Amino acid sequence: MASSASSIDTSPARIQKGVAPLRAGQGYSFLLRRLHSLSGIVPIGAFLVEHFISNSEAVNGVQAYNDQVKFLTSLPFVHVLEWVFIFIPILFHALYGIYIWYRGESNVGEYPWTGNWLYTSQRWTGIIAFIYIVYHTYNMRFTGVHLMGGGYQYAFSKVWFDFQSPWTVAFYVVGIVAASWHFSYGVWLFAAKWGLTVGANARRKFGFVCAGLAVLLVGIGLWTITGFTRTPADQVPWVEHD
Amino acid sequence: MANPKIIVVGGGLAGLSAAIKVAEMGGHVDLFSIVPVKRSHSVCAQGGINAAKNLKGEGDSTWQHFDDTVYGGDFLADQPPAKAMCEAAPGIIDLLDRMGVPFNRTPEGLLDFRRFGGTLYNRTAFAGATTGQQLLYALDEQVRRYESEGKVTKYEAWEFLSCVIDDQRVCRGICAMDLRGMAVHTFPADAVIMATGGIGAIFGKSTNSVVCTGSAQSALYQQGAYYANGEFIQVHPTSIPGEDKLRLMSESARGEGGRVWVPKQPGDKRDPKSIPEGERWYFLEEWYPKYGNLVPRDIATRAIHKVVYEHNLGIDGQPMVYLDLTHIDRATLDRKLEGILEIYEKFVGDDPRDVPMKIFPGMHYTMGGLWVDFDQRTNIEGLYACGECDHSIHGANRLGANSLMSCIYGGFIAGPHAVRYAQNIIKSGSQSPQTVYESERKRQEEINTRLMNNDGTENPFLLWRELGDTMTKNCTVIRYNKNLQETDVKLVELLERYRHVNLSDRSMWANTSFVFARQLYNMLQLARVIAQGAAMRDESRGAHYKPDFPERDDANWLKTTKAYFAADADEPRFEFDQVDTSLIKPRPRRYDAAT
Amino acid sequence: MANSKTVIIKIKRQQTPESKPYSEEFELTYRPGMNITSALMDIAASPVTRQGKVTTPVAYDSNCLEEVCGSCAMLINGQAKMACSALIDNLKQPITLEPFSKFPIIRDLQVDRSVLFENLKKVKGWVPVDGTYDLGPGPRQSAEEQEQAYPLSRCISCCCCMEACPQFNEKTGFVGAAAISQVRLFNTHPTGKALKVDRLQALMGDGGIQECGYAQNCVEVCPKDIPLTRSIADVGGQVMWQAIKDFFRT
Repeated sequence: MASSASSIDTSPARIQKGVAPLRAGQGYSFLLRRLHSLSGIVPIGAFLVEHFISNSEAVNGVQAYNDQVKFLTSLPFVHVLEWVFIFIPILFHALYGIYIWYRGESNVGEYPWTGNWLYTSQRWTGIIAFIYIVYHTYNMRFTGVHLMGGGYQYAFSKVWFDFQSPWTVAFYVVGIVAASWHFSYGVWLFAAKWGLTVGANARRKFGFVCAGLAVLLVGIGLWTITGFTRTPADQVPWVEHD
Repeated sequence: MANPKIIVVGGGLAGLSAAIKVAEMGGHVDLFSIVPVKRSHSVCAQGGINAAKNLKGEGDSTWQHFDDTVYGGDFLADQPPAKAMCEAAPGIIDLLDRMGVPFNRTPEGLLDFRRFGGTLYNRTAFAGATTGQQLLYALDEQVRRYESEGKVTKYEAWEFLSCVIDDQRVCRGICAMDLRGMAVHTFPADAVIMATGGIGAIFGKSTNSVVCTGSAQSALYQQGAYYANGEFIQVHPTSIPGEDKLRLMSESARGEGGRVWVPKQPGDKRDPKSIPEGERWYFLEEWYPKYGNLVPRDIATRAIHKVVYEHNLGIDGQPMVYLDLTHIDRATLDRKLEGILEIYEKFVGDDPRDVPMKIFPGMHYTMGGLWVDFDQRTNIEGLYACGECDHSIHGANRLGANSLMSCIYGGFIAGPHAVRYAQNIIKSGSQSPQTVYESERKRQEEINTRLMNNDGTENPFLLWRELGDTMTKNCTVIRYNKNLQETDVKLVELLERYRHVNLSDRSMWANTSFVFARQLYNMLQLARVIAQGAAMRDESRGAHYKPDFPERDDANWLKTTKAYFAADADEPRFEFDQVDTSLIKPRPRRYDAAT
Repeated sequence: MANSKTVIIKIKRQQTPESKPYSEEFELTYRPGMNITSALMDIAASPVTRQGKVTTPVAYDSNCLEEVCGSCAMLINGQAKMACSALIDNLKQPITLEPFSKFPIIRDLQVDRSVLFENLKKVKGWVPVDGTYDLGPGPRQSAEEQEQAYPLSRCISCCCCMEACPQFNEKTGFVGAAAISQVRLFNTHPTGKALKVDRLQALMGDGGIQECGYAQNCVEVCPKDIPLTRSIADVGGQVMWQAIKDFFRT
């Protein structure tokens, strides 16, 4: 057959490529995103809740607090536990989270709606919580008196001395609010994305549950802080700094 | 044997149906469309699709559907294809159902049917009030499936310019323009199927979409195709007047119980809800007690016209009447009509569940189109047509919900016939020389160059407004020979002024005003076919109504108008064919009395 | 006329995909019931800027003008909207019109949204019928099933949900809410179900459902009020189950 259309004009080639179509069956981002989502609940979220509850022993006085620390630091394989269930998951969650943030393009300016604000807040609370956690971990775990082994009796004191600066207390408050918010909204997101809360009504109701969780966690956190700040100096064992 | 290559122009219901049939038979389809096919005008069809499935225990039959269609069309339709369509209709509904169209259901899980104009049966299957959209999507999905299998190649954002016709007057492909790069190309094919829809833009504002210019049909008419029954233009009784278009308010609003009325008191300024029953005039129910608000569209349109212009009872003195749904409960309205109520709500700002809608007739559909035989062949060998762009099935007036069926049916006939024809072409080894394509491409490029470099003062968009105003005023509901003749004079004037069109945009990239100006020329040529055809037909039949000749005249005018283009004189000429009335003897068409 | 009301519209324009964008301002006579498409038609009929400069008609996509074809989507006062159903009366002036920002620009307000149609191919958005010959009626479905499917089937492919989504961009290559919602539609259909596994596995690929960040702009901007977040949650659950099944089966 005669053919005159052998070279169809390539004008569409002048048009930029744009967003790529779905790469069906390719890549690992599904696994990584789901791991990211899951790691926020277990182990990180679970640890967070445990950590809040454990620390709240501070309101029961120095001894109670130090005993709690003693219990935790004497768990078998404690170093393995803290690396496998705390440090590595948090590092993965944080670094991959930053990568996710980098790939999103927040647009609350154009679309100032609740869901969109929450989307953006999840990024900001995440980074704030992470900076806080890095500081907190460095300060409490990797510098000063080591609480493992026999150091547990200085656990309360270590925090107490830190809290002598109002700036530190303020930073802790910010960190606690950010982490609580990030975790609670993360629970809500987990339920929505994994298909647990399918209907709009279910999501709305679960939203109240998660908001309650956030308030509860912030409450516990602030209450714990007061456990330290209300304790007079003469009740706090002296710590030798190197 | 090589696979036939078929070009389908147009991606609405008709084009997609044809494409599916061709692909299913092993042919390859090149599918051309101005817009992405999913955005074709078929999406605008609202109320439903007719098939005599007789699921309501009414004793409906395909013969009854056929009789309603022919009677509704005032006996101008050739009867064998109309009968064939009505017989194919129940099977087509089943197919659409299998393809996943979310038709409304009865409590038992069967298809639900509602009433539409021009029939006494519940014969219209529907998917909410966006049936056309749902049907188009179902076919679009099937075509996408064939596309991913390599059986269909889509050319979206391409404008059909002309057919490539060889020395033996055989159609060998098409010439088209890329709407982005503006380059003109020819595409060879063993057969070409036109499915380019309506011509609303010729009337300025209509219920049609922006792409419904009739440009392709006109180009073919100028290349020697017959254009038949062009004077039969359907004006839909209920449209919503708007700034950019007339939005359709589906007949299904009346099918579900909507009532048309005006206040009996001229210039009554009261809130419509506060006007008592006794002071409302339900003129359709009074004049047509048997069919009531569901008389065929031409009848309802003329009635509204009469009430507004002769009785001076338009709402607030304006050309509008009420279409009232407020007596129906909200849940029913939402379930069955939500799509159209939403349109009224969004574009007018009132909730039609609370307030009667204000509506007026608007140009809606062309019964006429490219002349085709019973196998959807045009008079040019190798060129087929189906859907609104062909002239078959509907005669002098189309019944509501018959158009979706005729589009799909037409595609289902055109596709297989084109494939069989193409197989013979391939077998016979018949070919055309390269020069045939070259010369057509050159001819089109010259038109482009001339238009692009034209020096003048005329703005194509303003010329178009004049065209639309003239056509709407003189060639729609009420027609007088004097006005029709003036219209043709005006059209000649516009064609002359068109030669002085000045494009404010002369760029060669996605130049939409250039494309529009090119279409405008074809609109003007086709408008003459409509106006002259109407002037000639001295009778009243279906949508064509002349107060000076108020009766149907079977002795002289029971015939198909066939216009062809006399290139030397640059004007239409006319021939007439006998209508095939072999199955049902024409009888008087009276909806005001029992027949 | 001195006291006639006018409408001021600022349009971001661009001649070609390669050229630089620029802005033009138009002042039009106000008419009641005016929408953005009729304003653009007015500009085409008299393409002169507010400053009196003769210019070219604005290129934009449009077709049905009744919000059912999905053509005329653009950014109106910064938000993704359909131009036909955007009534001037409801918009703050001066009105700004811009092309969608996340789709390749063609010219002025025209962009290339074919990526959605590509995505619909990837997720096999169709019911696999055996053929178009007469095989009798389709499967029976309850009125409730129809009422579930119909709203999903009203998607007009306008791509507003994708434009407004913070996760839909060149870095993620996210498939977007519209295609995910179509997966839900076809996975629910008695015959469409046959391809359910294929669809779910497609959505696990890069750019798949996992990219959703639940900003929920999609459901807010959707001109057809499609329950998109519900679709994402529903399909999210389906994909998760499929992933678990795949993990333990292979």
